[in-house]
Amino acid sequence: MLVQEIIHKEPVTISPDTKLFAAYELMLKKNIRHLPVLENGKLVGIITDRDLRSATSKLAEVPFQPEDEVGKIMVKNVITVHPKDPIDVAAKLMRENKIGCLPVMENDALVGIVTISDMLDALLKLTGVHRPSGRLEINLSDKPGELAKLAQHLAERKVNIHSILTYPAVNGKIRIVLRISTIDIRGIAQGLCNAGFEVIWPTQMSCAD
Amino acid sequence: MADSNVMCGLVVHPKYLDYDLGDRHPFSPLRIQMVTELLTELGHKLKFETPEVVPPEKLEIIHDPEYIEVVEKAGKGIEAENFEQYGLGTADNPVKTGMAESARYIAGGTLHGAKLLLEGKFNKVLQFGGGFHHARKNLAAGFCLYNDLALAIKEMTLHGWHVAYLDIDVHHGDGVQELFYDDDKVMTISLHESGEFLFPGTGWIYESGKGMGRSLKLNLPLEPFTEGDSYIFVLEKLLDEALSYFKPDALIVQAGADPHFSDPLADLMLTTNDFEKIYKIILQKTDAYAKGKVMFTFGGGYSLVATARIWSLLYLVLTGSGIPDKLPVAWKQKWEERLGIKISDSFHDPNPSYNPIPRKEEITNHNKDMLRRLLDMVTPDWL
Repeated sequence: MLVQEIIHKEPVTISPDTKLFAAYELMLKKNIRHLPVLENGKLVGIITDRDLRSATSKLAEVPFQPEDEVGKIMVKNVITVHPKDPIDVAAKLMRENKIGCLPVMENDALVGIVTISDMLDALLKLTGVHRPSGRLEINLSDKPGELAKLAQHLAERKVNIHSILTYPAVNGKIRIVLRISTIDIRGIAQGLCNAGFEVIWPTQMSCAD
Repeated sequence: MADSNVMCGLVVHPKYLDYDLGDRHPFSPLRIQMVTELLTELGHKLKFETPEVVPPEKLEIIHDPEYIEVVEKAGKGIEAENFEQYGLGTADNPVKTGMAESARYIAGGTLHGAKLLLEGKFNKVLQFGGGFHHARKNLAAGFCLYNDLALAIKEMTLHGWHVAYLDIDVHHGDGVQELFYDDDKVMTISLHESGEFLFPGTGWIYESGKGMGRSLKLNLPLEPFTEGDSYIFVLEKLLDEALSYFKPDALIVQAGADPHFSDPLADLMLTTNDFEKIYKIILQKTDAYAKGKVMFTFGGGYSLVATARIWSLLYLVLTGSGIPDKLPVAWKQKWEERLGIKISDSFHDPNPSYNPIPRKEEITNHNKDMLRRLLDMVTPDWL
């Protein structure tokens, strides 16, 4: 999944001479937390609602005033991504830099942003239930052809695979979570068990028919 | 033996038996035959109302015309390239000749049941089939083609009735929920094994309706290996809360028998004794909150003998008849021979029916938490 698939296009932007109170009002009105700062069409910075609150807090050494300009407090070295970057790269950048938003740049122009909310939407898309389906969980050996065997088994039984999710299992195997188009998941699981697959769900399956 | 019809309207048509998706397919028309014969052997004179078939165009109130056209063609053996797009030609919904027409007779039965309630001819109706709760606007799924329940509910709301739909099938009633998701005249309540573990994967508490239907679609996902006492506890509390608020003009119940412990497709642990209690609770709540009007349909249930006993029990409870200790010998012998299995002598399940569940306490607490969270979420909207 690429950044361009989860991107927010036409983000709301401000300029360095926007007043802090105006930026604050904009965030409230649009219900957003991040504002990229553009000057002559170029990305020159970014501010978040937290930057605004910290800068103007009574607790700050010298609090900024509502009439001050965004340019004074914005973060200037902005971390960005490209639309063709995979979303895991974007996720890693957010985690490592502890930030919640990445402007998306193409040909030195701002084309959109991705935020943590977009990442969660992506997670929902990857793990979610989009068609009526049953859940099958299998541990596969980490070697060529295992998934092909599994897919072949399902295809022969006219069972459609709606989604596949994989992650490393504890015993060096690969955990495969499939959503497949059948209500009779146990019949399928039994067949897989008989064919030598390690079935994790449904549980309490005995191989014997 | 008492005349059944005084107590309860019964609906069936011989064409129901044509909803046959193949010898090895779990959704067997034998179940209708087994229930009917079991009750007859017990000495009950079943007087059935015969429904009319629903013409394809009348289904357009629920389904897309293109979907109906493809299903009707499939039922006549006419190939179409886009079967899969509509969920047809799969392991669950294979294409069989006659299935579309049969599905329309069954839909006609559930619709007829709704009319019996609307006209006041009966306060209780038992439809000997139907319950196709997975059928969507344009998708066949989970053995279901046409959503007979939605058709019946729609008929009732068009007459100005408020309808509560209760789905005790072990699978989430996703099709019915979706078709009335923003409808304020319909409350849907589904208790099912959690979508984390079971088809169709939906039925989370946060699926609570939208727009005018907000907080009127209630889902209680239950832990695998949930037993009768936990099930009955949450069911009774939920019905009291939901129905005393919504005060429907009638209750429609999809009475799938697949939460039974022996069901091969799912993991709940209800016994026939639990089903008897559940049916009695539903009737009590119907009298208390739903003007005494209720229709039950069949539904899932893939352990054939258990399903036959459970739905016979439903009839016996609905008609206030006595429940026998033993199965009729002739019935037992016939079906032992026919199915090639051993059938026990007793009508009810033995006690205990299965080995103790190790996680019982954890499961019970989890189900209670789920009910608490559901009510916390929806009740603030029930002003």
